[in-house]
Amino acid sequence: MKTIIEPFKIKSVEPIYFNTVEERIAILEKACFNPFLIHSADVLIDLLTDSGTSAMSSNQWAGIMQGDESYAGSPSFFRFENAVQEITGMPLVIPTHQGRAAEKILFSILGGKGKFFVSNTLFDTTRANIEFSGAEGIDLLCAEGKLPSVPAPFKGNMDVEALRQTIIEKGAANIPLCIITITNNSGGGQPVSMENIKAVRKICTENNIPLFIDACRFAENSYFIKLREAGYANKTVPEIAKELFSYADGCTMSAKKDAFANIGGFLAMHNENLALQCRNLLVITEGFPTYGGLAGRDLEAIAIGLREVMDEHYLQYRIRSIEYLTNKLIAAGVPVMQPAGGHAVYLDAKAFLSHIPVEQYPGQALVGALYIEGGIRGVEIGSLMFGKYDEQHHLVPAPLELVRLAIPRRVYTQSHIDYVAEVIIEVFSKRHEIKGLQITEEAPMLRHFTAKLKPIN
Amino acid sequence: MKQVIKRSWAEPYKMKMVELLKMTSPAQRKKALLEAGYNTFLLRSEDVYIDLLTDSGTSAMSDRQWAGMMMGDEAYAGSRNFYHLEEVVREVYGYKYLIPTHQGRGAENILSKILIKKGDIIPGNMYFTTTRLHQELAGGKFEDVIVDEAHDPENEFPFKGNVDLNKLEKLVKKYGAKKIPYVSMATSVNMAGGQPISMQNLKDLRSFTKKHGILVIHDMTRVAENAYFIQQREKGYQNKSIKNIVKEICSYTDGATMSAKKDALVNIGGFLAINDYDIFEEARNMVVVYEGLHTYGGLAGRDMEAMAIGIGESVSDEHIRARVGQVIYLGEKMMEYNVPIVKPIGGHGIFVDAKKFLPHIPQDQFPAQTLAAEIYQDSGVRTMERGVVSAGRKANGENYFPKLELVRFTIPRRVYTQAHMDVIAESAGRVFEKRNSIKGMKMIYEPKYLRFFQARFKQL
Repeated sequence: MKTIIEPFKIKSVEPIYFNTVEERIAILEKACFNPFLIHSADVLIDLLTDSGTSAMSSNQWAGIMQGDESYAGSPSFFRFENAVQEITGMPLVIPTHQGRAAEKILFSILGGKGKFFVSNTLFDTTRANIEFSGAEGIDLLCAEGKLPSVPAPFKGNMDVEALRQTIIEKGAANIPLCIITITNNSGGGQPVSMENIKAVRKICTENNIPLFIDACRFAENSYFIKLREAGYANKTVPEIAKELFSYADGCTMSAKKDAFANIGGFLAMHNENLALQCRNLLVITEGFPTYGGLAGRDLEAIAIGLREVMDEHYLQYRIRSIEYLTNKLIAAGVPVMQPAGGHAVYLDAKAFLSHIPVEQYPGQALVGALYIEGGIRGVEIGSLMFGKYDEQHHLVPAPLELVRLAIPRRVYTQSHIDYVAEVIIEVFSKRHEIKGLQITEEAPMLRHFTAKLKPIN
Repeated sequence: MKQVIKRSWAEPYKMKMVELLKMTSPAQRKKALLEAGYNTFLLRSEDVYIDLLTDSGTSAMSDRQWAGMMMGDEAYAGSRNFYHLEEVVREVYGYKYLIPTHQGRGAENILSKILIKKGDIIPGNMYFTTTRLHQELAGGKFEDVIVDEAHDPENEFPFKGNVDLNKLEKLVKKYGAKKIPYVSMATSVNMAGGQPISMQNLKDLRSFTKKHGILVIHDMTRVAENAYFIQQREKGYQNKSIKNIVKEICSYTDGATMSAKKDALVNIGGFLAINDYDIFEEARNMVVVYEGLHTYGGLAGRDMEAMAIGIGESVSDEHIRARVGQVIYLGEKMMEYNVPIVKPIGGHGIFVDAKKFLPHIPQDQFPAQTLAAEIYQDSGVRTMERGVVSAGRKANGENYFPKLELVRFTIPRRVYTQAHMDVIAESAGRVFEKRNSIKGMKMIYEPKYLRFFQARFKQL
């Protein structure tokens, strides 16, 4: 049988409210062309993020009902701790209210002026947290990762040669941490190979630099390894995940992705001294170490979700559905990141809207067009999110201008996805009518969340 | 003699779902205490029979709140639940702008970073652990301006949470109003035993601070309980509803930090509310880094919905009457057993005076910590130290030795029955009877920040 069906059925539904093109034009103008400022009730298909938007299983909801809300020593925490230990092999587990809080704690301890954090690609909040501490983040993505239209199996890999070079240039003593993001979100949800992780581990060990994994989508990455890397076809996903974590000294995780949770995250590690420092900071901004700013019920939901996500029927369905949408778009000639990533479809906005220069934010313009055409909400991952200004206040653009359509886990059906493809193809056919944008208001950090824009006539 | 028949309060709710409890033996409790380093924070909650560690996040939600949980809109941006919460905060508390945070300390962190400059002075009606720490980390210094009565557990003054305006005036004279960005004003002062501030005092504070251009920031986690005491004790408020009193309290302040895990009857969540647009804008930019986008602030959509509904329930007269009524019932029962407690009885718990309970144990041997361990050993009731361990150390490394050395019996909202209260009071009474045989403790591990959470002890 060719068709892959969802390894679940629907137990509870949430209505979608329809609106018209005219209404959406007015809504987008009111939101100053920023999808983050649109009310969710005005969105038909919400592909803004796959973070925290999953449908939980009935087992997770049962866990929610069993949550023990004691301030200290809750059994929900011990079940959570046990699940994380089992999957990562890391003994010290620290819950946080979400992934960025785990990063915040880690970088406040390890960061500071004159320090450099190296990575395949740092995500927006990760980079913001590093820069907030005064340190600098350096992305060392492999060459094929920077070419959206060229397929390769592991486009999330780190450039090992560049890593060696950077260590020589900056000095190992100034690099407190190397971070591998799996899968590589900003680079198209592309996986990292086990071989690459091993190679990075080796260099880190030689230079005495600890290696952490940003593990938000560890199960999707593990499944890609199973599918694409020699020697892993017969290994189970938990085995692959365990091997992958075994090369790291620690990890940060936003449980809002590959744990199907609506809220939550954690830090896990081997080093007792570092964990002690992390817990000291945890109580200030997050909460006591056995709840870390989460309700007990959310710890339960994460513990259950972490195990559910490694089910291969689920992962096959998950990866296949992203591929399904990507292939539909490729067939229609729409420029997309290839091959399909693990959690989202990435439109190449530079190629899609070749008449709009990067200074006019083609990605953001495309996000607006998709919303008006079909009520679909995506997000720009390009110069609005990662662009900077030089000393003359000229835009230093990001290497890629992408629009990410992140698919929430277990939420939308195949007919929703067919609708999304139709809307994109329709917008593609009238792409020449789309206008560029200029910023009218922006914050000094993470500007894409609150920036206001207007079209250029 | 003519008998006066008491008119009892009863809970304005019934049970819809229960959580089973585990009973433990004295031997099991002895072992559990040893493993926890005699710190009740480090006990596993499944070894606890009645958990009075905190009233924070431990409430039983109503069926309506659970229904709200099912209506969670988990969109990353612009969730419906956010707009509902914003509307409720405006309606019930009257603050203009809202920033949700994952809990109260998230709001304190952001507010302190925005308003406090290095060298600033933050006067407040008694310190609270996390609040003061955030003020200090932002470069400020906390100065206590609570009335003297608050430091005397025996004094029955009805508003021991009041600000002493003379103390405040002295600070303004000494440092200048420019060095004082805001007064940190808590309703139902936790460290003083859940003691209220009066409306008159608030009005006076308002006119004083207005004159000097100083803001009043409201630590409002137990504002409804404070409103109940104003209704019961202050002239002119007997016929006003809790809802009206709460709104009037907030009207004398410029903004608030809220841990919704107390009054607002939720298990997680908090917010920062502020009337000034510029401060709001700065906070909105900062919340993304620490908490989450400003329309979810690190909370699931469902938790914002539960909070919106809980806030509405928290200002009902019947709810508050039963809530505080249960606390007073427990306190009166303890007094029958001669257990020394802070008077008058506060809104969210009973605070036992450990100095008086264990006069033979000096403060540097942690009498309150010792007593909390003894109560657990006796009955499996978990309480919390609020004395020298919680007070921590000064910048120069010396211990703070607070006047109050208390054990807090905090009552979770809508969770325990009258029979549970009886068990608690009897246990305190039993330990009191054998108080002379109890010995102090020594601290063997001390963390850098908020040491009370993770410190370990051994018996002398």
